[in-house]
Amino acid sequence: MEVKIQKTDNQVVAQFIGRLDTPASLEIAPQMEQLKEETGGTVILDCSELAYISSSGLRILLTLRKAAADKGGHVIIRSINDEIRSVFMMTGFLNLFEIQ
Amino acid sequence: MKLQGSIKKLVRESAGRGFLLIIVAVLTLEATALIQYYYSRAGMREEAEMRAQSQLETNQVQILSIIRQAEAAVHNNVWIASWCLDNTDSLGSLVRRIVADNPEITGSTIALTPRYDKPHPLLAPYAYRKDGEILLKSLATPEYDYPSQEWFTEPIRTGEGYWSEPYIDTGGGEVLMTTYSVPLRDHSGRITAVLTADISLEWLSNLVEHAQIYPNSFGVVLSRSGRIMVSPAKDLDMNMTVQEYAEQRAGDKVVFDSLSRAMISGESGNIAINSGGKVLQVFFAPVEHTGWAMSIAVPEEEIFAGLRRVGIVVKILQLFGLALLIFIFSSLVRNQLRYMQANESRERMEGELQIARNIQMAMVPRVFPERKDLDMAASLIPAKEVGGDLYDFFIRDEKLFFCIGDVSGKGVPASLVMAVTRSQFRAFSAHEDSPAKIVTAMNDSLSEMNENEMFVTLFCGVLDLAAGHLKYCNAGHNPPVILTSTIQTLPVEPNLPLGIMGGMPFKEQETAFPYDSAIFLYTDGLTEAENLGHDQFGEGRMEKILHGRKEASAHLQNMADAVHAFVGEAPQSDDLTMLFVHYLGGKSESIGSDNLILHNNISQITALGEWMETIGEKYGIDMPTLSGLNLALEEAATNVIMYAYPDGAYGSVELSCVKDGGALRFTLTDTGKPFDPTARPEVDINAGVEERAIGGLGIHLVKNIMDSVSYSREDGKNILTMIKNI
Repeated sequence: MEVKIQKTDNQVVAQFIGRLDTPASLEIAPQMEQLKEETGGTVILDCSELAYISSSGLRILLTLRKAAADKGGHVIIRSINDEIRSVFMMTGFLNLFEIQ
Repeated sequence: MKLQGSIKKLVRESAGRGFLLIIVAVLTLEATALIQYYYSRAGMREEAEMRAQSQLETNQVQILSIIRQAEAAVHNNVWIASWCLDNTDSLGSLVRRIVADNPEITGSTIALTPRYDKPHPLLAPYAYRKDGEILLKSLATPEYDYPSQEWFTEPIRTGEGYWSEPYIDTGGGEVLMTTYSVPLRDHSGRITAVLTADISLEWLSNLVEHAQIYPNSFGVVLSRSGRIMVSPAKDLDMNMTVQEYAEQRAGDKVVFDSLSRAMISGESGNIAINSGGKVLQVFFAPVEHTGWAMSIAVPEEEIFAGLRRVGIVVKILQLFGLALLIFIFSSLVRNQLRYMQANESRERMEGELQIARNIQMAMVPRVFPERKDLDMAASLIPAKEVGGDLYDFFIRDEKLFFCIGDVSGKGVPASLVMAVTRSQFRAFSAHEDSPAKIVTAMNDSLSEMNENEMFVTLFCGVLDLAAGHLKYCNAGHNPPVILTSTIQTLPVEPNLPLGIMGGMPFKEQETAFPYDSAIFLYTDGLTEAENLGHDQFGEGRMEKILHGRKEASAHLQNMADAVHAFVGEAPQSDDLTMLFVHYLGGKSESIGSDNLILHNNISQITALGEWMETIGEKYGIDMPTLSGLNLALEEAATNVIMYAYPDGAYGSVELSCVKDGGALRFTLTDTGKPFDPTARPEVDINAGVEERAIGGLGIHLVKNIMDSVSYSREDGKNILTMIKNI
């Protein structure tokens, strides 16, 4: 699992590459803390290379979403595959996030 | 026996040396005493000689003084007497006056030569003292015949003064007398008469009597002819010759003869004579002028009486010193003997303990199974020669039976209980597969024979080498450590140690023990090893050493080195035993088949992904469905891994997959705390961002993905069954 974070003037793009299972979620926790600081603005989570997500991954996304709600920012999820989409559906995440 | 022989030899040698030492000491003492005795004796003898000589000289001076007085008294009257010869009638009054004027003269006569006066062919008026009066009588009697007497003939013959031989005066009361006589001449120088003076020799015996230089010494004065003149010795008859005396006393005649000859011939010197069984040293010297000889006889024992006293004191001191020497030496030998005996018994004890150690070491297996699915190592280091720790293992029916134990106490008593415990483990595990039953039987047996209140902590495990499954029972022993990708303690029931009370139940526990799992068993000699500052090695250090993937023997070597470095100079306080079992079987069976065992370590989830791929291939499951199943199983397994076991404790979860008609049935089994995930409240998936709970999504996903989810608790295990129709 790898996360690439790119900052531009008005937004931050985080690209998730690989499988976001429980061990991976623990692994990227420090980077996510860092990303949480940016939730005042627009945070784009690029999931085009994300193959899999478990509930731990979902918890990370939800944490970012809550932080953005507090700070008045935006979290946008981009390019999820069908399997992840179905997980989002099962968990009601489709209604919580702006998905492009 | 060999040792005893050599000790006897040593003792014999040192006793011999001591004996020699004592003999040398005795000889030295004796030689010193002899030399001292010899010189003292010579000194005493010299002293006796000097004393005798000085006494003889004194006597001589006194005798001469008296003799000269007597001679002077006679000589003073020679002129008058010569003058009176013309008038023979006056001779009587003259001799009377001589006696009256000289108290030392007891009698005096002037005897005329026969031809001198015709009318009185013989004339010899004699004045003598009797009862204080001076009487006068004539010696010119036919019976006496004075012209033939020695006192008359000798001075005439020599023309000089003459001292007669001593004689007993029969007329004057048995007194020893001597007479000094001088010739009287007429005008023409012809000898016409002899003037005499009788002298009592009583003063001589007084003199000799008062000259005792030793308590029983006595003086003897001999006359010219060898007659005894005076002697205070009672057994010496007066006027006897020395030869007669020797005959009477049965003395050595030759010696007495030579003594008397020497004395008579005027020699001075010293001769030893044997008289009446006693040795007398006789010192003798002539009395000048008289022809007499004086001697002083000293009993030899008196001369050397002082020497004998000193000799006795020296002997007593010698004996005392010798006794002291013998005492000191014998106590030295005794001490040495005792020391050597103590040494010997200690050596024997040490030898026996060394044998006991070898026996004990032979009791625990040293050869490890040569199998691809096992890597084992063990070590037992007793604090003393023998100890109370034990370990054992063997393989029966593809099961590894192993145990580690620690008998309370140390040394020989503990080692005996250790031996019994080990035998019982072998005996009871020969036909029994359940660790709890083995331990229960051992406890009953040990409690029955436990007279000395000794107990044993024991961990007993049975590892199913085919299934990768561990059953175990812990009786009060330190919980072992499980090494997977992490290091965790194996959860154990708080059972009592063995040997405390019979008939007690022991709880058995079990856990999956998949490929690459290892178990490290130890006794408290490891964690409680102390350095000089009384710090303990502790579990923290132990776990640090166990990190990293190594061979079993390397793990134990590292551990032993670390403990050694930690304790430093401090003595080993307790037995130290370690057993390491690394399980390398079961991989091919669990991966790619219907089973998977995961440790309670989150990184194990990766293995789950691989397993799911094999399941997908096996049953031809499409990717989206497989991804969903993977997700459901990950959520279920994560729950167990994260929450079923206490922090730091080892645990596992076993997954299985069975195709049942048109459905796949997944089962998750764990031995953690009871937990029913299906009983958790549903999450509200329609809640807004603020209201959404962070947790609870996992079980929600499981329920959504699976067609059926059910939970049961059986045999201390959580069993979660999930069914997916395909």
